[in-house]
Amino acid sequence: MKKFILILFVSPLLQELHAQTATDAIMMKQRESCFALIYEQGSFDHYWEGTYLRENRTIATVSRKTILPMIAIGLHDKLNLIVAAPYIKTESSEPNGGRFDGAKGFQDLSISLKGELLNKEMGNGKMLLLSTLGYSTPITNYLSDYRPYSIGFGANEVNLRGILQYKLNMGIYARASGAFLWRGQTKVERDYYYANGSYYTPWMDVPNAWSYDVVAGIRLFENSLQLEARYIGLRSTSGDDIRAYNAAQPTNKVNEDAVCFKAQYWFQNVKGFGLLANYTRVVNGRNVANYSGLGGGITYQFKL
Amino acid sequence: MKNIYTKIVVLGCFLVLTVSCENDLPTRANYTAYEFSGLDEDGGSWSPVLLSGSDQIIIDAPDDVTSSDYRAELSVVKSVTSNLNGSQRNAVDYWTNNPMLRWNEIALELIAKYNLIPGPNDDGTYTLPNPASPEGPPGFPFAHPPYAVRALAYMSVAQFDGLISAWHYKYLFNRKAPYQVDNTINVSYNQNDMPSYPSDGAVIAAVSRDILTVMFPLEKDYLIVKADEHMKSLVWAGVNVDSDIVAGEFIGEEVAKVALARAATDGMKKAQTSKVVSDSIKAAAFARFGWQWDNLEVPVRPVGLAPLFGKVKMWSVHTVEEVRPGIPPAPGSPEYETNVKELIGYAKNRTEEHRRLANYWQDGLGTYTPPGHWNKIAKDYVIKYALNPLRTARTFAYLNMAMMDGGISCWDTKYYYHYPRPIQLIPGYKTIAGTPNFPSYSSGHSVFSAAGAEVLAYIFPAEASQVRAWAVEAAESRICGGIHWRFDAEVGTTQGKNVAAYTVDIAKDDGAD
Repeated sequence: MKKFILILFVSPLLQELHAQTATDAIMMKQRESCFALIYEQGSFDHYWEGTYLRENRTIATVSRKTILPMIAIGLHDKLNLIVAAPYIKTESSEPNGGRFDGAKGFQDLSISLKGELLNKEMGNGKMLLLSTLGYSTPITNYLSDYRPYSIGFGANEVNLRGILQYKLNMGIYARASGAFLWRGQTKVERDYYYANGSYYTPWMDVPNAWSYDVVAGIRLFENSLQLEARYIGLRSTSGDDIRAYNAAQPTNKVNEDAVCFKAQYWFQNVKGFGLLANYTRVVNGRNVANYSGLGGGITYQFKL
Repeated sequence: MKNIYTKIVVLGCFLVLTVSCENDLPTRANYTAYEFSGLDEDGGSWSPVLLSGSDQIIIDAPDDVTSSDYRAELSVVKSVTSNLNGSQRNAVDYWTNNPMLRWNEIALELIAKYNLIPGPNDDGTYTLPNPASPEGPPGFPFAHPPYAVRALAYMSVAQFDGLISAWHYKYLFNRKAPYQVDNTINVSYNQNDMPSYPSDGAVIAAVSRDILTVMFPLEKDYLIVKADEHMKSLVWAGVNVDSDIVAGEFIGEEVAKVALARAATDGMKKAQTSKVVSDSIKAAAFARFGWQWDNLEVPVRPVGLAPLFGKVKMWSVHTVEEVRPGIPPAPGSPEYETNVKELIGYAKNRTEEHRRLANYWQDGLGTYTPPGHWNKIAKDYVIKYALNPLRTARTFAYLNMAMMDGGISCWDTKYYYHYPRPIQLIPGYKTIAGTPNFPSYSSGHSVFSAAGAEVLAYIFPAEASQVRAWAVEAAESRICGGIHWRFDAEVGTTQGKNVAAYTVDIAKDDGAD
């Protein structure tokens, strides 16, 4: 593997942006590092209230801007460490009926360890099996309960992912991954709430979820350009629905189906630098925003 | 390599444990049956709120404990209590010997469930919930704060009057509790010398079921199931025989009828007006003062929330005008400008403490509302001070009467002065809490909270400074959140205190002190 390839998806969950930094099939060599800085801007003017797609002019169009600094380090040829911490800003377009202020701040710190379990020549290509163990935790006191402006779900998460990729020597590849996300509880600023019944506590259970994706991609021009199409699914294992014309809350059952297109380019003549661009759109969901967003960033690879 | 993977697995297990060690989230007050701080043996002599006296509702004298009918009832209690199954045990543990608290929780839960503002139709119009076709959409009711406090007031007052009647007959007939007649009965709650005929638990179950069924008609079946389980649990707990329950249920049903007759004619039906009436109220205010509140939602809501709630019949105050505060500062006046500056300051510099306050006391859509919050506070004190069901009912009755009077007075003030909200007058102003669909002056949170705090300060004198501090905090929270002017909150706090004084005066004279 000559180059480290950073694949990144910024998941457009209703009020959360969770950087899935560790879903690709690429490993960095020991002592190699890659720093990435990505900006994404997206918005939604419809969302799914339960399974009903609606608009709500109280919030009008909600925009979300994200700056994501991230670093990946090769601890070993077969073990990588990935660390990221997004800064997020949300607000409603004018005019809107609610006159709510937006929110901004650093969201969660995520730390992932990715290990290569299998790397085998098969036919005209190579089969790779990897696994990622990730942990994320809020690093500021943002309010997860301030929907739809809150910048995250405000709870710890542990996730374990398996990744399988087959890549033909000619450059075409297919990949699939699946993960389970254990999500903890978030502390909100009221000591009573309703979630299909009364809760007398400031703690809310954020539902656990399954996350999975399927990817088709190609590497062109001597590996300097990568194009990728991706389907991403998320399924909460519990939770309640957003109630009629009411605000969402962290207890909601969040499902989503999203598509993502990505292009990444590595300069041949500027050592270590690369560019990436992506477009993401949620095409179906439950208690989630009908979000679409466009992102771009630079990557810089260097030796420690 | 193997070593690294072992470490990863160990780390993974640790992380999963960190996440999965979650608190069990409480869905109700965490209390069990307890020994009452007193029995209030003279409770039958206290003055009821709606009944002419504790003997207005008449029940027959019970069979003597030596009679064969009673013996038969007792043997049922004896056999069922000796072998409770799991669900019977759960019901006994759930309802406890102060089921007032559980029914209050049920009411709060229904309020939170129904406190959803109807959204716009596709053509930009709004449809209001209609009690004649409660299924909707939108479903009936929209349990906003005036609706909520009224539901709580009728339920609590009827519970109180029903229990005064029950106490009267308990000590008139003096029929012993089953466990005193037969001390081999397996009783689940703390034993005491209170006579068991009629059953106080059954009074509470029947009153609560009947009042809440009218307030939340779609919950009829749910409430029947709850009340049935509650009444059965009284036998399972070994505290009542069947005839205790029949007599208690009768009192409960009768007192609920009296309360519901008042509710049917208290003016609430006319509180939500047509646009024509609403516009004329607005025009009258503009003619008087030169300002008017406007709804800023998109699409615009044509009528504010319950413009004539201020005309609803009060519990303790003779005329709503006598508690109406004076005129607020005119826009452009120096005091007004000071208020604007303060609000802009909050918006520019949002501290975490301001955010916490705004959220903690917000009690907005989808929650149990500010009156519900004060019922929750009262419930915690009832448990702390180990009140018996009658004292508990008295606490909730005066609390909710005072808060409902406060709400009526506040709504009268709101639509009389029709004062604009900060988001209407300060260009580009943004808030961190939802601005409600009614005029600004005076603040409903402030009035409800001060009124509630005054009653709790009277009933729990040792907690007076705490509850009054909370009322001020609740008032301040609306300024921090950008929902209210400071004068809305401060005047509202004084208004709440003034209104509550009427109810506290009645309470002091009811024979319980």
